[in-house]
Amino acid sequence: MTDIAVACKQVSKRYGAKTALDHLDITIPRGHVVGVLGPNGAGKSTFFRMLAGLVQPDAGVVEVLGQRPGWRANENIAYLPDRARWYPDHTTEQAFQWAERFLPAFDRAVAERLASLMQLDLTLQAGGMSRGQEARLMLILCVARRVPLIILDEPFSGIDVVSREQIVDALMEHICDGDKTVLISTHEIHEVEALFDSVIFLGDGRLQLAGEADALRRQYGSMREIVKRLHLGGEQQ
Amino acid sequence: MDERQVGALRFQLDLSQPIYEQIVEQMSRAILRGDIGLGEKIPSVRELAQGLRVTPNTVMHAYQEMERQGLTETRRGQGTFITSSRQRVEAFRQQEAHRVVTEFLAKMRSLGFTEAEIIEQLRSRRQEEEMQ
Repeated sequence: MTDIAVACKQVSKRYGAKTALDHLDITIPRGHVVGVLGPNGAGKSTFFRMLAGLVQPDAGVVEVLGQRPGWRANENIAYLPDRARWYPDHTTEQAFQWAERFLPAFDRAVAERLASLMQLDLTLQAGGMSRGQEARLMLILCVARRVPLIILDEPFSGIDVVSREQIVDALMEHICDGDKTVLISTHEIHEVEALFDSVIFLGDGRLQLAGEADALRRQYGSMREIVKRLHLGGEQQ
Repeated sequence: MDERQVGALRFQLDLSQPIYEQIVEQMSRAILRGDIGLGEKIPSVRELAQGLRVTPNTVMHAYQEMERQGLTETRRGQGTFITSSRQRVEAFRQQEAHRVVTEFLAKMRSLGFTEAEIIEQLRSRRQEEEMQ
């Protein structure tokens, strides 16, 4: 296994006239929790979808855990898409049963422990869940997989503060299990920025700044301040 | 400023400053003040990381720094402990005092104060405090 979790070399992607990624060079070492920050439309989701093999680059090379993205690499990746939903007629328990059958390396015992930690009722149907409850379910389905790479696209958006804290606690459990690489994009920077080992700032599909979190703090201040400064006048939530 | 409590330890984290330095500084002060006793066990990296909601790598970095300063020692299989050596803590206290005085002197000199004037400032400050 390589020490590099993610490597992008000169990766570009266009959707019609819109440039989503523009000659992106990114290297992420294994075992890091990485914040991927930037305003809407910066290219974060495209970047993640590319790692999960859902989007092909127009140019450049992407490697994830030493492989090209695709179904084989995805055995080792848990990916939570932006605004992810679950089958409305499944209860939490049925979702776990499904995950046990279809998601590689899903650990049901871990999922049940997290559900109890996050106060998520096993008999509740996804269709009847609040946004926060469903977000917790989606997070558990990712984090309960014993895989080396987890990718979370906006795991906190539209979620109440209590659910957010519970999600952070579940993430902490996962991170502390060692040698896990986690990529998180979020606008709720304040809640999670202390979890980041390093941070990547994207804007207009380009890499604007990247570095070790404490080194960036020494030089520029908090991650939230950096995003504000990089995108002054740009779209911010 | 986020305030977080882990066991008997209270931390205030300022996310605009390096976090590992704040952990080192606040734990060192807790040791110097005697909030944590000599030879006492401190939280594991995992416990502190979870309590502070901070990446475990940062806590590990802080613990390595404290060990380098001789404030803590790791006992294999048992965890991390505050040094039981009073001399070490005293040496660290002196070193910190030296650092603070150096900073203070540099600042005063940059304001144009001579050594005699600085000493005079300290004296009059002490008198002020005694009067209160």
